[in-house]
Amino acid sequence: MKPVFALTLSGLLMLTAMATQAEPASNEQVAARSEVLDLAGAFQNDGFKIHDGNLVGKVTRDHAQVVLVNLYSGNAYWFSAATSPSQSLKISLFDDQGRPVAYEPYIQGNRAAAGFSPSASGLYYVKISNDDVQPATFCLIYSYK
Amino acid sequence: MPDLRKWLGLPAVAWMAAMPAFAQPEKASPTLPARAVPLTAGELKTAIAFDALTVPTPGEVFAAIDKGGKPNWSSQYRPPMSFSSTSRAQVALNLGTLIADGYIAVEAQDGQQVKNIGRDVFTLSKKLSVSDSVLARGKSITHFAENGAWAQLNEELEATQNEVKKALEDNRDGDLITLVSVGGWIRGTQVVTGLLMQNYNADDAKLLRQPALVSYLREKLDHVNPKLRQDKIVGQVSDHLEAIEKLVNFPADHVPGPDEVRNLNGLVAEVTQQIANVP
Repeated sequence: MKPVFALTLSGLLMLTAMATQAEPASNEQVAARSEVLDLAGAFQNDGFKIHDGNLVGKVTRDHAQVVLVNLYSGNAYWFSAATSPSQSLKISLFDDQGRPVAYEPYIQGNRAAAGFSPSASGLYYVKISNDDVQPATFCLIYSYK
Repeated sequence: MPDLRKWLGLPAVAWMAAMPAFAQPEKASPTLPARAVPLTAGELKTAIAFDALTVPTPGEVFAAIDKGGKPNWSSQYRPPMSFSSTSRAQVALNLGTLIADGYIAVEAQDGQQVKNIGRDVFTLSKKLSVSDSVLARGKSITHFAENGAWAQLNEELEATQNEVKKALEDNRDGDLITLVSVGGWIRGTQVVTGLLMQNYNADDAKLLRQPALVSYLREKLDHVNPKLRQDKIVGQVSDHLEAIEKLVNFPADHVPGPDEVRNLNGLVAEVTQQIANVP
């Protein structure tokens, strides 16, 4: 099976721009990170370890963010995201062909999470979206065990 | 990419670990959401891939292996290396393999080996001018290793790897980050296949399916700066990754057999030796 994965030069430029945030974090980013770590901390009680990396970005109703992750069968994962208190987010998961997969949803106010135990190792897509026309600053992290 | 532990400080992470059980979110069972629609072609095309989230740490695959029982991790140790190479590419690749060695030592719960590897990581970081960021981590690693704090050691290794990458980014050596990731993945795969050759089981063999990850690493390797690209070791690794990609690219319902595992192990072992400059 040939994976859908195809990293274009524009994609590379985009990820470079997102990954090398030279400017200091905004207040919204700081708040989103704090919130998401609080949420992921609860999963730590279940033995989940936080993967030390995060994505900070913005989503609107018309512009969701999709991130590629590589997962291992046998592990359980929680993808967690948070935004500012007045907004909300949704996380959804897709297989390497972009088809929806079943996951454990969690949405509470400005926090969202998706629990997933892949039956096959490999590529998955994580989509962060919201229903608001106003841009929502979010922070995404994941935990595994 | 900011490092969570640096940003919040390790005590905050430790505090979160101590949160009471009532703080846990109530979760639902796995379900396919109603009205779930596939990603559009545009979403697939513009999906973001980047090191901090797209490349799993060696600790993640090792965690999956631990599910089937405690393997003989110490059987996967390597003899100590000598670091004579002046090639920055080679040093970065070696650094990645060494950090993976650190995870193996943590899995083996071998404090002395963790400290030895920590010292080697510092030596190599110095060659890449990123030792300052590793120094403080080194002290924590020594402390945790002496106290058998294995869970914290895992976190420290992950944080060390990220701080090295962050420092390389700050030094405008971003291409070396790719090499650290490649080295870590290759060494991790050598360990997984090595354990499978000792004690084959289908569940662990399924972990080897990572075509998109290898494709991502190859793509990144193809875009490193021309000077780095001309380094002999980068060419060797790139060539091998092409062959490795074919071996880890199989359908989701296929389970690699012992012969496939052995072939993959042979390839990654060869690259690891080239990276370590072992004749």
